[in-house]
Order: sequence, then structure tokens, then C-alpha cells
Amino acid sequence: MSITDQLLAELVVYGVPLLFAVVAVASVGVPFPVSLTLVAAGSFAKQGEMSLWPVIVAGSLAAILGDQIGYGLSRWRGRPLINRITRRFGGAAKINKAEALLNKWGGLGIFFSRWLVTGLGPWLNVTSGIARYPWRRFVFWDVLGEVVWVVLYVMLGYFFSDRVQYIAEIIGNLAWAILALIAAIIFGWKLFRYFRPAGSVTA
Amino acid sequence: MEQRNDNQLKKFSWQQLVVAVAFLVSLSVTIFFVVRAVRPVIYWHYHQDEPIRAWMNIGYVAHSYRVPPHVLYQALGLPNKPPDKRPLREIAKAQNRSMDEIRTLLMDAIVHARQPYPPPPPDSGSSP
Repeated sequence: MSITDQLLAELVVYGVPLLFAVVAVASVGVPFPVSLTLVAAGSFAKQGEMSLWPVIVAGSLAAILGDQIGYGLSRWRGRPLINRITRRFGGAAKINKAEALLNKWGGLGIFFSRWLVTGLGPWLNVTSGIARYPWRRFVFWDVLGEVVWVVLYVMLGYFFSDRVQYIAEIIGNLAWAILALIAAIIFGWKLFRYFRPAGSVTA
Repeated sequence: MEQRNDNQLKKFSWQQLVVAVAFLVSLSVTIFFVVRAVRPVIYWHYHQDEPIRAWMNIGYVAHSYRVPPHVLYQALGLPNKPPDKRPLREIAKAQNRSMDEIRTLLMDAIVHARQPYPPPPPDSGSSP
């Protein structure tokens, strides 16, 4: 039996406390099938085997807790490590540039990586911590994004309660598609910038 | 001077090539996953029944296949009330059965529970 099957089987037995643990651990960065778990929890809520509000509240709190752990660890442990590396090997200017970029766009990045491009969530926690992104702003965008994520996925499971696996499959594929699209936009923009000077010379 | 320009041009072309390949790969991956995401939506009505998995309990299978739960409890020789919330893997273990056996028993019960099954026999004997 796969890890996914084992996890969902335990979810039926242990309910909300297990959901809390799975979502928290996954938000730190452990690759658990958390989307399917949330959708399944929504379905179980619809069937009366779990209560809807505890599922949403526990899921949101767990996701926020996991993010805070990722952010906190990288801020207190990751930053000194980066400082040591830049002192020895250089690259401080690049780190400063990344910090400035994160301060400018970090809020939106944090928000969308909570629920739309969920694969990037744990990475953004770490980079936000290392770059010392202001904690209050991090918490604001984090809470907003995680509540959207949990409510969206749980309600999808609730409304399509008889097709948990299909919904999770669609969500999973869409998440990869969005991630690949972001990469395509970045590379496409770089390519466009390569061609632009040549065009202006001929013009 | 001309040689330096050539080198610059070569370097530029090589970078361009890498970015172009990365762009095409990421675009292909995007299309691949969009197709995979859209396909289940298109065939939504043809895939009403989810494959029975070990994590499901009888309540979920009955809900997903739209059959009364007592039919499935009966098929596995379990009491109808109180509802058994154990996942199928636990039931399989307790009954010393494989998941394939459990799946076969449930599918058999589902097929027989769904309308119209069995088809009403033609009343041929009473006609003159």
C-alpha cells in the first residue's frame, strides 16, 4: 500500500489531529500528499465522518504553524550560515539584490505560493527567513494565503465528495502546469530581452 | 578586434540557445500538465466511479458509487449498525482476505444493487 493510501486510511481513523500533523509537517517541506488529504477531509466532512469547521480551522492553523517553523529556522539558523558563506566566497551583492526583490514582491509571492503554486511554499518560507523578510508582513500574507488554500481544497472535497481522487489529480496537474508556466514566462522574458537590442539596432 | 566580436557573438548565441531550450521545455511541460488536468474534466461523466482503494471505508465507497451502504456491509458479512468506519485494508486484514478479494466482493454487490439490475423477466407465460 502506498504512503498516500496509508495516510488516508489513518485519516479515516484518527481524524482532525492527524490532519493537523500532516498539514503542519508538509508545510515545513516534507513531501506528503497534503492536497489529497485536505480534499479527502472535505469529503469525510460531507459524509458526516468529520466536522467541517474543525477541519478548516485545524488545517489552517497547522499550515501557518508549519510555515512559521520553516521561516523561523531559516531566519535564525540559515542567515548566519549565508553570512559565513558570503564572507568566505563572496556574492553578498547578489544576496542583497535578492533581498530587495523579495521586499518588493515578497508579499504576493508568499500569498500565491500558499494556495496557487503550493510546491513553492516551503521554499519561500526558507528564502523569506534567510532574507529577513519582515515577520509581521510574512504572517499577514501567510495567514491570508493558507486560509484561502485550506478553504478552497476542503470545499472542493466537500462539494465533489464522491470523486476525491479525480479532484486531487486535477489539482495536482494544474499546480505543475502553473509552475511550468511561470518558468516558461521567465525564460520567455529572458529570450525576449536577448532579441530586443538586436531589433533596436536594425531599426 | 573582429575576433573578440566573434567570441562575444558565440557566447551570446550559446546563452540564447540554453534559454530557448529551457523555454521550449517549460512550455512543453506546461502543455503536458494542462492536457492531463483537462482530460478528467472532459471525461467527467464517464468516470463517475472511483477505483476502490485500501484507504476508503465502506461509507465512502457507498457514497462514491451511489449505492445504499447496507448492501456493501452485507457483501462483506458485516453488521449494518453501528456503521463500521474502518478503512478497507483493516477489514481485509481482520477477515484474512486480500484487497483484490474485498474489491471483487464490493464490485459484485455494487453491480447487483444498481438499477436496472436484474432486468425484469419478460412475462411470456401469461400471454396467449
